[in-house]
Amino acid sequence: MQTLRYILMRLAKAAVILFAIVILNFCLIHAAPGDPAAVMAGEAGASDELFLQQLREKFGLDQPFHIQLWKYISGLLQLDMGYSYRQDAPVWDLIMDRLPATLLLTGAAFVLSIVLGVVAGVMAAVRVGKWADTAITVAALLLYATPLFWVALMAILLFSVQLGWFPSYGMESIGSELTGFRYWLDVAHHLVLPATTLGLFFTAIYARMTRASFLETAAEDFVKTARAKGLSEGRIARRHILRNAILPVVTLAGLQAGQIVGGAVLTETVFAWPGIGRLMFDALLQRDYNVLLGVFLISSAMVLLFNLITDLIYLLVDPRIELNT
Amino acid sequence: MNAFMKNFLRNKGAVAGLILLSIVVIVAVIAPFIYPQSPWTMVQRPFQPPMALDGFYFGTDVLGRDIGAGLAHGARVSLIVGLVSTLVALLIGLPIGALAGYFGGIWDDILMRFTEFFQTIPSFALAIVIVAILQPSLSGIVLAISIVSWPPVARLVRGEFLSLRSREYVQAAILSGLSPMNIIFRQILPNAISPIIVLASLMVASAILLESALSFLGLGDPNVMSWGYMIGAGRTVLRQAWWICVFPGLAILFTVLALNLIGEGLNDALNPRLARKGR
Amino acid sequence: MKKALLSGLIGAAMVATAAMAEPKSGGRINVVVQPEPPGLMLGLIQNGPTQNVAGNIYESLLRYDKDLNPQPSLAKEWTVSDDGLTYTFKLHSGVKWHDGEDFSADDVVFSADVFLRETHARFRVGLEHVESITAPDAETVVFQLKNPFGPFLGMFEAGTMPIVPKHIYEGTSFKDNPANATPIGTGPFKFEEWKKGSYIHLVKNEDYYIDGLPYLDEIYWQVIPDAAARAVAFETGQIDVLPGGSVENFDVPRLAGMDNVCTTTEGWEFFAPHSFMWVNNREGWTAKPKFRQALMYAMNREFMKDVIWNGYAEVAHSPVSSKTRFYDTDVAKYEFDPEKAKALLDEVGYDGTPVRILPLPYGETWNRWAEAVKQNLDAVGVKTEIVATDVAGWNQKLSDWDFDLGFTYLYQYGDPALGVGRSYISSNIAKGSPWNNVSGYENAEVDQLFADAALKASAAERQELYTKAQAQIVEDVAAAWLLELSFPTIYRCDVKDLVTTAIGVNDGFKDAWLDR
Repeated sequence: MQTLRYILMRLAKAAVILFAIVILNFCLIHAAPGDPAAVMAGEAGASDELFLQQLREKFGLDQPFHIQLWKYISGLLQLDMGYSYRQDAPVWDLIMDRLPATLLLTGAAFVLSIVLGVVAGVMAAVRVGKWADTAITVAALLLYATPLFWVALMAILLFSVQLGWFPSYGMESIGSELTGFRYWLDVAHHLVLPATTLGLFFTAIYARMTRASFLETAAEDFVKTARAKGLSEGRIARRHILRNAILPVVTLAGLQAGQIVGGAVLTETVFAWPGIGRLMFDALLQRDYNVLLGVFLISSAMVLLFNLITDLIYLLVDPRIELNT
Repeated sequence: MNAFMKNFLRNKGAVAGLILLSIVVIVAVIAPFIYPQSPWTMVQRPFQPPMALDGFYFGTDVLGRDIGAGLAHGARVSLIVGLVSTLVALLIGLPIGALAGYFGGIWDDILMRFTEFFQTIPSFALAIVIVAILQPSLSGIVLAISIVSWPPVARLVRGEFLSLRSREYVQAAILSGLSPMNIIFRQILPNAISPIIVLASLMVASAILLESALSFLGLGDPNVMSWGYMIGAGRTVLRQAWWICVFPGLAILFTVLALNLIGEGLNDALNPRLARKGR
Repeated sequence: MKKALLSGLIGAAMVATAAMAEPKSGGRINVVVQPEPPGLMLGLIQNGPTQNVAGNIYESLLRYDKDLNPQPSLAKEWTVSDDGLTYTFKLHSGVKWHDGEDFSADDVVFSADVFLRETHARFRVGLEHVESITAPDAETVVFQLKNPFGPFLGMFEAGTMPIVPKHIYEGTSFKDNPANATPIGTGPFKFEEWKKGSYIHLVKNEDYYIDGLPYLDEIYWQVIPDAAARAVAFETGQIDVLPGGSVENFDVPRLAGMDNVCTTTEGWEFFAPHSFMWVNNREGWTAKPKFRQALMYAMNREFMKDVIWNGYAEVAHSPVSSKTRFYDTDVAKYEFDPEKAKALLDEVGYDGTPVRILPLPYGETWNRWAEAVKQNLDAVGVKTEIVATDVAGWNQKLSDWDFDLGFTYLYQYGDPALGVGRSYISSNIAKGSPWNNVSGYENAEVDQLFADAALKASAAERQELYTKAQAQIVEDVAAAWLLELSFPTIYRCDVKDLVTTAIGVNDGFKDAWLDR
């Protein structure tokens, strides 16, 4: 009962934050120079007053700012995210078209980085001071310091161009008309490079954090007690230390899961991955206001959702934590 | 202070980082003397590989500009971007965190909601939007980086203030009628400074990375030669001329690495209790 | 007065002999489209990528060979009356829209007189000379002009006058018609699917009115946002055709040097992309003609051609491209001469006020170009500052006249009356568009020359007037001309007959076939 009330409170708060985000973003994006009509005129190679006026009328941009804002918000309240000026389609459809690709990419990168990062972190921690520890620590530091897009470029050069192992762009072999299992195999093949490059950066963070957290927990009293009881080292590491050391990792994972949209812009650009990050960037350059606002809204909602989930996981892992609204 | 230095210097990584960073800083300072000409000047034939010509150890780029000059002058820009945006982020984050932590209650609630609000918007996406609004210029980029990187500062400072506020010496200062400003800046802040310094060193590093990512997307300032700008400009010719892109990439890698190592060293030296456990 | 009876059959025979081997039917082709078009309804949107794709879905009455001679398309033959006022087109019979409806002359009248009049800014300019458009019978269309208009026969290209289906659009709001998402044309390829952010799929029109055409079964237009990734996709064999401009110039020689890869700079004759900088004629130092001349002498355009465009360009000496009709070969030329530039700057007493350069936000090539101009100007002592923007910002700054030097490139559309005059006549000065006389150049004599030349029907008379106009505009440096650009199309050599017309791949897949 208490949990339910807590969740409801959090959801109400989230709604307020989302509302503020909508207003802020609306003002921000309208402050950028030019508008969607100007961009379309700029690309058309020819335009005149009539052309621009027609576009602005069609998009509703000829109306005062506060009316546009009011229209957008009242649309949202009816669960209508508006229409894309440029792509001539409802924003909701566009986002739902692209969201699965991004979720697949970031989901794969997320799982990869957590598994790899935690394993590497634990390996380093149990061999603290040995060469394996040093190697993992140095590798993590290097990965953490390298620009992500740079790794992506190098990976394409090596694995696509030189070795020809993986495709360099896209999410599927276009026009192959594969179905079922073979289709997913094809997608997985395309997924390897982008998911790995995106995942490596986070792997480095998880590895460092797991190592530090593991070492800190290992020095706690209850571990000494367990050791005194004569439990095997492997059992202590798994059942006692890791369980407690994982908490900060969960926090970070929640943060990462929330940031999936922004972080994928670079990867999606380099690998031509048809996801939502790229949709956002294009919408920004094209001043496709509604699409941009829609992506921000959805991604912010995801951040809030994942924050909530993280806190609930905390609750499961460690029941001592108070429900503090 | 002495114990701090000893602790810091005992950390091999931190010393290596310090040496690396010193090199970068020295290059940045003496750049105008070793490369008196503007890094934009087209001084040689384009696409000359490293060492192919006397005095052009890093080769030339697509327009025949000296990559070496770009690296040296770029060091200044990248460091300035990193430092200034971190400073601005501190200027925003410190007061917010301090006020929230010190006054608590409704202030805490409002300021922390405000912070949460900024943490909810995907940060890289927000940075891109801000640069698009301000149009790519050095100040716009610095501002964008600051705006997306201050929330962690505010949260950290708030946490420190919350715990320090209940200390006896602070309570005593409050009772003796010192003004809140005085207490915040004279009494609490000096004691909260060490984790802030550690965070700041890491923020400089991520600001440099963020600037390079923005440049990569074509949102760099075309009037100043930064490493990110060099990579953004060179990536399209990566296949013909690896050196245009690789050298600034390495420069970023080493600088960010150095800053991270120093940050860790500082962390260990400032919190010796944790440090011993950490190794 | 020009007497013309042009038979389409001759043109068709010429195209046929160009093909050496016997074409094979079948196969699929992968092409890059960059950037992803905003839509495919060619009557509403005419930007580059839309024309690339939709030029194979929609058709107009004519096509143009590489010397800009008209060729049959929907019209099989046409006549122009002696007084140059009546244009009569005979249409192909048995033409069907992609949805199975019959195509007729009514569709042409509707498209030109109703649809495009409302939606197509560039076409409207031509319509001003038109008295009436009528369809005496289902296979005949007559354009009656108010006055002779020299370039009129050049307006029947798919991007200028796409024919749209009357049965779908009549009486609807054109811009909101849901059919815009699934374009219906008469062309050789039908729209099949558009996976946003990924690809556009066109399939062969089995009922195409010319037997045997098209040869290809399907075309996939792929969206790859990053230029380097596009080059890699071509290298690894996933892409067969890179239309002009889809990779950075620096990559062209490398890709062209690969096995089984051909390039051509043909297929742009109709557009003749002409790059230049708008020079703000209204205020600041750039308002002084001598200062503008100094800019011209300061720029090393040979270097720009060789290094930035890898030789795929010619130095532009005049507002008219050398590939366009009525270019004057004897026009005065500004050679690279920094000393002369400095002397001119001294003469006008330049005080070091910075000049703002607005680059074109179309990729790295254009950024390097702005940097090169900046260096050239710095070298003669002109202080400069590059103002970076994205497409929206660039558009706004030019539209609001908030610039000193603004990069752009414009198409010439085969005739100075269509593609050149618009940038220099004073009646075309207005805020709000980056495509009119943005420089703000005003010269009554030039206005008169352009006005007269458009209405003359004789080529010799027009040449005389355009020669005068060019000399005056070049003397005044109304804009700072840079290069006549070539956008090489890069493709696998087993793709045959890809570029057969003056608009290249825009309608190229009608004739293309695969020798595999």
